[in-house]
Amino acid sequence: MIDFLIAQVDSLEDAASAESQVLDSVILGEQYYFFTVVLMWLIHVGFMTYEAGVARRKNVLATAMKNILTIAVVTPTFYYVGWWVYNCNQPGFPPIGPNSSDFTSVACQGGIPWSDTFGPNLTNNINLIFFLAFLLFSWTTASIMSGALLERVRLSAYLLLAALLGSVVWILDAAWGWSAGGWMTLRFGFHDSIASGVVHGVAGAFALGVLFNLGPRIGKYTRDGLARSFRPHDLHRTLLGLMLIFTGFYAFYAACLVISSQSFPGWANIYLSPTTLGSITMVITFGFAGGFTGGYFGSRGDPFWTVSGGLAGVISVSAGADVYAPTLAYLISMGSAALVVWSGSWIEKKMRVDDVVGAVAVHGVAGFLGLIWVGVFAAGYPTGLNNVSSSLWGQLLGVATFLPLGFLTGWFASWVLKKMNLLRVPPEVELEGLDVVEYHADLYLPEMAAVRERIIEPDGTIVEAEAVVVEAESELIRR
Amino acid sequence: MPLLIDSAPDCIVQNEGATPDDDSLDFILQDRYADCAGFGTFMPGSTYGEDGSSAETLYYILTWLGIVVTVAALLAWVIYENRQLVGHVARVRGRRTAADEPPPEPGV
Repeated sequence: MIDFLIAQVDSLEDAASAESQVLDSVILGEQYYFFTVVLMWLIHVGFMTYEAGVARRKNVLATAMKNILTIAVVTPTFYYVGWWVYNCNQPGFPPIGPNSSDFTSVACQGGIPWSDTFGPNLTNNINLIFFLAFLLFSWTTASIMSGALLERVRLSAYLLLAALLGSVVWILDAAWGWSAGGWMTLRFGFHDSIASGVVHGVAGAFALGVLFNLGPRIGKYTRDGLARSFRPHDLHRTLLGLMLIFTGFYAFYAACLVISSQSFPGWANIYLSPTTLGSITMVITFGFAGGFTGGYFGSRGDPFWTVSGGLAGVISVSAGADVYAPTLAYLISMGSAALVVWSGSWIEKKMRVDDVVGAVAVHGVAGFLGLIWVGVFAAGYPTGLNNVSSSLWGQLLGVATFLPLGFLTGWFASWVLKKMNLLRVPPEVELEGLDVVEYHADLYLPEMAAVRERIIEPDGTIVEAEAVVVEAESELIRR
Repeated sequence: MPLLIDSAPDCIVQNEGATPDDDSLDFILQDRYADCAGFGTFMPGSTYGEDGSSAETLYYILTWLGIVVTVAALLAWVIYENRQLVGHVARVRGRRTAADEPPPEPGV
């Protein structure tokens, strides 16, 4: 009898202990994502700093405000639309058959904005913090486009485009190819574990579509179509901004993992296949190392492209970061960064697309390269709930889906804005600078503002910019 | 009783006047919320999974109000900026036109 009572007490204690462990595990998970969210703020501090450094002095405030207001717009639109898009559209249009799991329909209930999981809730404290991690991804995606359009896009046009990209376009492709229930993964083994294509590729393609309608800055190209270079007003600020982005990227990587405390090794990628926090951190670190090296040699030591090469390197290994060996990540990122430098120059000089920060190359080209590298170097890994092997075919399907999705939506939305004369600031405003016109302020002291702005001609000579841009503006008005 | 708006969901057990010992199960005073899932202001307050997705009318209206305000803010941004830019261009062109005009001749 006593033995029985002791056994009963033990069993009650075990149950209480198990319940307590589950609660601890849930709270730890909530904290884990919370801290990734906090650290991912640095990505936006970085984007603001980076772009403000690239901008000419007369556009610094406008550039920074654009980055800050990204948060003001993408946050509500992602809450009202984006989370529904992600949770309720994973089977695709039309829904693809029996392979779509019930997981999707259950998750869909938590995706609608009037769900009771969007506030204090005694039965679900993970949904909200997971939502917030995705929200930070959305800000990042919109900010990628921001730098490409600097110094001539209207703030309001940018904000509309940011809402479209951050709250609809990227999250739709994430539903399809970056979720446990997405049709691309369930049916084709599409594998993009830390969002090479899902975030960066799509944002780069979207930015390219917008740039075709936006056109270059006044004075960027000579009458013969040769590219001039506007000098960043503060290159050190740009480099500092990129380093802040890199710091935030570690949190971005960490937030892409799912905690699975009930099964070894305790971590899973977004498709719920196993990986470890250490291995993805190793890949991102080697991605930076290889990327800096490739960027340096690809650009013959140009500081901007060296640091941008680091970003491109990481993006190019993100898709396979859950399975890559460190040396593979190092080599892939090095080669990709060199390719990105070359493609950035090609986009500027041959395509005559004025992408101020090289976002199309750094994010778009590196992002889609990252998808292809998984098909080449990491084929055969079972991906997703259906355990379909990753393959080159599956990865190319991803490129063929994401590239038009990003490009066409960006092109069409900016075309509509252009037709309504709402896309670009008037030439008079561009010439005078956005800060004075939109914010009635010059950030700098008068003696600093008096320093003449310079421009680098295609042959490398440095001349004062004023005469060049005034002539280009009057040509534009005459046309 | 709340002065103007009682936004707490019905699932919360009101227990005003109780002595502290009545609700000492945990240091979080959870008993009053035992029947609740989402218990934020105007939230449904029903148990998640059974009828948690059927929002109460007020919560639904509040959410739609947020959607309308978001769209209105975006439109306001477009209109405000457009007005600012058009006004500036008009001023610049006016200055240029004035500068291009010949100065008035003496006696005219």
